Amino acid sequence: MNEMSKNENLDIQIYNFAYLDENTKRMIRRALLKALCIPGYQVPFSSREMPMPYGWGTGGIQVTSACLIPKDILKVIDQGADDTTNAVSIRKFFQKTANVAVTEKTSDASLIQTRHRIPETKLKEKQILVYQVPIPEPLRFLEPRETETRKMHALSEYGLMYVKLYEDIAKHGHIETAYAYPVKTNGNYVTDPSPIPKFDNPKMNNSPAIQLFGAGREQRIYAIPPYTNVKSLDFEDYPFEAMKANFKCSICGSSDSYLDEIIVSDDGKRSYICSDTDYCKEQTKLNSKKED
Amino acid sequence: MFRHRLLQRTNQIKFKKRRLIMKQNFLFQASNISKYYGQNVGCKNVSLDINPGEVLGIVGESGSGKSTLLNCIYGNLEVDEGDIFLNDKSKTILNFTKISEPKLRLIQRSDLAFVHQNPRDGLRMNISAGGNIGERLMAIGHRNYGEIRQIAANWLEKVEIDVSRIDDKPSTFSGGMQQRLQIARNLVTRPRLIFMDEPTGGLDVSVQAKILDLLRNLVRELGIAAVIVTHDLAVVRLLADRIIVMQNGNVIEAGLCDQVLDDPQHKYSQLLVSSVLQV
Ligand SMILES: Nc1ncnc2c1ncn2[C@@H]1O[C@H](COP(=O)(O)OP(=O)(O)OP(=O)(O)O)[C@@H](O)[C@H]1O
Ligand SMILES: [Mg+2]
Ligand SMILES: [Zn+2]
Repeated sequence: MNEMSKNENLDIQIYNFAYLDENTKRMIRRALLKALCIPGYQVPFSSREMPMPYGWGTGGIQVTSACLIPKDILKVIDQGADDTTNAVSIRKFFQKTANVAVTEKTSDASLIQTRHRIPETKLKEKQILVYQVPIPEPLRFLEPRETETRKMHALSEYGLMYVKLYEDIAKHGHIETAYAYPVKTNGNYVTDPSPIPKFDNPKMNNSPAIQLFGAGREQRIYAIPPYTNVKSLDFEDYPFEAMKANFKCSICGSSDSYLDEIIVSDDGKRSYICSDTDYCKEQTKLNSKKED
Repeated sequence: MFRHRLLQRTNQIKFKKRRLIMKQNFLFQASNISKYYGQNVGCKNVSLDINPGEVLGIVGESGSGKSTLLNCIYGNLEVDEGDIFLNDKSKTILNFTKISEPKLRLIQRSDLAFVHQNPRDGLRMNISAGGNIGERLMAIGHRNYGEIRQIAANWLEKVEIDVSRIDDKPSTFSGGMQQRLQIARNLVTRPRLIFMDEPTGGLDVSVQAKILDLLRNLVRELGIAAVIVTHDLAVVRLLADRIIVMQNGNVIEAGLCDQVLDDPQHKYSQLLVSSVLQV
């Protein structure tokens, strides 16, 4: 045993596996099971203090912590990238507290925690996708009273949700909502998909993977079980469109992945690259193979 | 003197007969409604019925229980005693005090409507006029933007708001316009019964007259029944077919509007009528 892994063993003794104590995990697992039974329904849970501030994905981290098993292979992304500060620190956190294997490859991961994106690579059965959610209530900005929004969900009174889309079209001539575009889960609850671009919405539909959502500050957990119908809300004459910038990635040349706009020179020249760094790498590899 | 008494009696008999006939196709009926706020009486043992297309006025001084009664029969306030029946579109009689909350809310959205005294309570101030009118349509399943917008525009015209204001927020409207918008928002789904609590309460007299005129025409044109709460007898005279007079939570007199206003029987009603005439 080398010096390095000795230290790791030490850490594991200091922290319970994956940081949270077993009672807390059990409480979160109960909430998760309930959430899976009622797709899209927001289950309250008593969120714990985590060693990082809200807004850093404390809800997602608690869900991940409750789901992790030692043989998991973990991937963490922020805006599609594995190498941003947020993603790196969460990945390190679980390496340290759970000593699990980590990967950047979407297809190798058994559990993926994400902020603001769904990976481009199609997810598979038995994979778990954990979303970090800032505001779980899709009706929040329309109806601030929690008692009222709960009732609206219970009675599926979603007229107001359509009012929001109506306002968008009235103001902009099209549905302007580009992120956190509301969906109806299993034909029942209107659900906030977290601030993913609406380009990703179709990936939620009928996905073989388990999708779990954790909101730490708001203390809510919700879930979409595998192969669940997830439909983006729209009007007959203004159908939902999964839009993205109409360019090619300047690294891998892909035209079907979601792109980030970057400024590449001092005079403001713009370029577009895949937001999903793993996908971009894979595409680049494929391209060079083809050329060989 | 005798002749006068005689006429009065026959009037009452005629009225009673008419009521009996009407009851068979009543739209809405409340029987023995009581509501208490702890020790305070909100309203006590009130019964009323409303026929299709009929306008009922509820008058009485401040604190007499008008709003309490209105909120009880609309289903906003839980009653302590009594039953409330609605003869719904499919001719089944529903008892508000017995049906589930989802069912009640569905009825409130489709068969009924409620116009608040303060338009701020009945409008979404941060949503455009078109969105305000469209909400009830979308709530009952309309999913075509173009259609919804067209209907909203038609309603703006009906309540005499310039269609060019369709994308403006109600906060940029005058009080009278806001109230007219609230009326449009409520009538767009063509409810069969509309409840109004002092709909012209906060407005100045010329604006009031315009709104009352509009209400009268719309209610007649669409054949909507209405219950209107007011302490202004001019309002009931203009709009109501029948009125009930309340005092201390009790109904002390009820009858045809002209009859009660021209020839009040109860001391308090007499006072109410004469106090207005003296002004
Ligand atoms: N929430 C409440 N809690 C306690 N008492 C109440 C409440 N609301 C109304 N009351 C009492 O019930 C009685 C009837 O009040 P209500 O508001 O129905 O009268 P109103 O006829 O609508 O009066 P106004 O013309 O001033 O609007 C009053 O004595 C009032 O003080
Ligand atoms: Mg009142
Ligand atoms: Zn790329």
